[in-house]
Amino acid sequence: MSQTASAPPPPAVQPGPAGPVASRAHAPERDVTEDTPRLLNRLQVVAVTVCLVFAVLAAVVQVLAFRADGRAADNTEQVVRVQEVRSLLLRADAIATTGFLVGGLEPADQRAAYDAAIDDVLGLLTDAADAQPADRAVLGDLNRAVSAYTTAVAQARDLNRQQLVIAIAYLNQAGSILREQALPAVDALVSANSARATDEMGGHHPSWLLGLALLALVGLWWTNRALAVRFHRRLNVGLLAAAGVVAVVAILGAANAGARASSNADTRDGPYRTAVDEAAARSAANDAKAAEALGLVNRGSGAVYEENAFDPAAAVVEENASPITLNAWRQYVEQHDVVRQRDDRGSWDRAVELATSEADDAPSALLAEVDATAAQVTEENAALATDGFSGGGALTLGLALLTLLGGLAAAGAATWGVNQRRREYA
Amino acid sequence: MSTRPILRPAAALLAAALLLTGCAGYDATVVPSAAPETSGSGGGDTTEPCENDGSQLASYAPRAEAANSADVEAIRARGRLVAGVAADTELLAARDARTGEIVGFDIDLVDAIAAAIFGVPQKQGSKYVELKVITAAERFTSLQEGSVDVVVRNTTINCTRWQLVAFSAEYYPAGQKVLVGTDAGIESIEDLADKRICAPSGTTSIENIQQIQPDAVPVTAGDNSECMIKFQAGEADGVSTDDTVLAGLAAQDPYAEVLDTEQLTAEPYGVGVNAQQTDLVRFVNGVLEDYVADGRWKQSYDTWLRPTLGVDVAPPTPVYGR
Repeated sequence: MSQTASAPPPPAVQPGPAGPVASRAHAPERDVTEDTPRLLNRLQVVAVTVCLVFAVLAAVVQVLAFRADGRAADNTEQVVRVQEVRSLLLRADAIATTGFLVGGLEPADQRAAYDAAIDDVLGLLTDAADAQPADRAVLGDLNRAVSAYTTAVAQARDLNRQQLVIAIAYLNQAGSILREQALPAVDALVSANSARATDEMGGHHPSWLLGLALLALVGLWWTNRALAVRFHRRLNVGLLAAAGVVAVVAILGAANAGARASSNADTRDGPYRTAVDEAAARSAANDAKAAEALGLVNRGSGAVYEENAFDPAAAVVEENASPITLNAWRQYVEQHDVVRQRDDRGSWDRAVELATSEADDAPSALLAEVDATAAQVTEENAALATDGFSGGGALTLGLALLTLLGGLAAAGAATWGVNQRRREYA
Repeated sequence: MSTRPILRPAAALLAAALLLTGCAGYDATVVPSAAPETSGSGGGDTTEPCENDGSQLASYAPRAEAANSADVEAIRARGRLVAGVAADTELLAARDARTGEIVGFDIDLVDAIAAAIFGVPQKQGSKYVELKVITAAERFTSLQEGSVDVVVRNTTINCTRWQLVAFSAEYYPAGQKVLVGTDAGIESIEDLADKRICAPSGTTSIENIQQIQPDAVPVTAGDNSECMIKFQAGEADGVSTDDTVLAGLAAQDPYAEVLDTEQLTAEPYGVGVNAQQTDLVRFVNGVLEDYVADGRWKQSYDTWLRPTLGVDVAPPTPVYGR
């Protein structure tokens, strides 16, 4: 086909017979008698609209995907942030409960470590509130629970220093506040932000782009067919060019969307999952250490704490920890078992001695190693996940812009193509 | 054809698109409400309803031959008496932070039993004792399982518990009283009207208070110590439970005192023993008689409880008949 082929004479403008009866009688001949300039105008509007709607919608799909990537990265950071809050709270509790066992002689460095953990928690709560407005109400509740927890710990410390038995009740109350008020709020934040992150990870839809392109191509094909019927030319170069542009930008956009969707899935199943699991293991490890200490603080209840608190926490560590953390954890468990054996055999003093020992091979130091290892693994993988989700954004945005420009070019080509017919008619 | 008519809707479409790609807001995060705790029966409760008509205080009369019974010989052969005790009840059984030892009124009695079994003076009795700290819930199971020889852990004798274990004769006549603030202006039960009185949930202490002073406002907590925390936090005006426990709580708070009233209920404390070891019960009852007769009981009471309770209490008269 060629635009240069001789065109048949355009159909003459035939005013239709007046009256509804005549109109109904000549309905089958309507296309023959239609006003050709008006028809060309309508076809041009259809073709341009198809190109522009495709361009805008396809660009919107890509911009939305770009923004979803950004939000996935932001939500991942929030997940890691609130999991860090969880880990630090339980780390602080493990330090406070273990320090309680040595009465008023809590080592200064342990006290400093507790204070640093709480300071970090308060800073992270502020950051989290800035990062996600939807979390602010729960973060406010969490902040109050943390304040109540630290107050109870401070009272327990003061009374313990005075060697009063009621101090144990205050320490238990602090633990209850932590586990019944603070941690449920943290868990809700982790759950909500994990769901948000996961939802946003699926923001790329190559099929949507291809579907939009298909609809646009159908619209251009229909326009071309309508022109062909009138002008006996099978193809219109302008419309063909427009279809080509639409197809090219759609394929480019879909290819990028497919690659990004695949990349996001890899990031979700890789570093993101590792970061989330490792943070859960880190929290659980500190929770287990707190249970070890509380089992000794509440003399005679060691077996109960072991069954109700330590064992479930240990199971979480075993299930979620990375190999390097798991190795450190199992070294801690060996020493923890010695603590329990001593307590179960009635050697409470020797159990406390080991549980509070500052030696490198004692439970406290081994648990600190677990905490540090897990924190590092979490941090590294969280950074990889965030980079993974936010990477490739420039290309996506560039393709969205290209889609818009391509749509405009396609509209221009369609306009030019229809104008060719208009000139032939004139 | 002019493209102007197309540009207008196109511009509108673009504007809508920009709006669509704007900030996405999330639903506010919500903390799921905690599932209500199911209140199970605890399982394994095989006791029958019964009435405490006074006969529950009757124990097995001492016999001289009980000292050489198989129950006692088994303890001698082991070389130590294993006693189930508390470690968090100030004045009755609590760890002395300076020495690390568990001390108190109940522990003195454990030492006396051990001294009698091994034939040594009271002060050396502790050398023949293994204190096993148990929770209140473990008092009867530990005896049934044989993990301890005796339980001396402020345990009230009643007919229901007799179905689980055996008891010595009463060794302390505890009873429910009320702890209040020293400057609260509360001098009597009548003054408790409109006052918030805390007692552990699931106990009869609150009901007892309300029967005597219906205008008192009940406040509940998990245990006695939690009630004391509420009292110290100003969330309760008083705490009501066994006077021995209140004495221990008051000893830790210079602004608290045990109200000097009649006991609201009788809570006779006894030494728990495995139900099959009646010879050990007879032996313990013999020790108790000597413990009271030679003044060690009063000495222990004066050391631990009297300074806080502020009243003289006579040792209970043993009742036998089983």
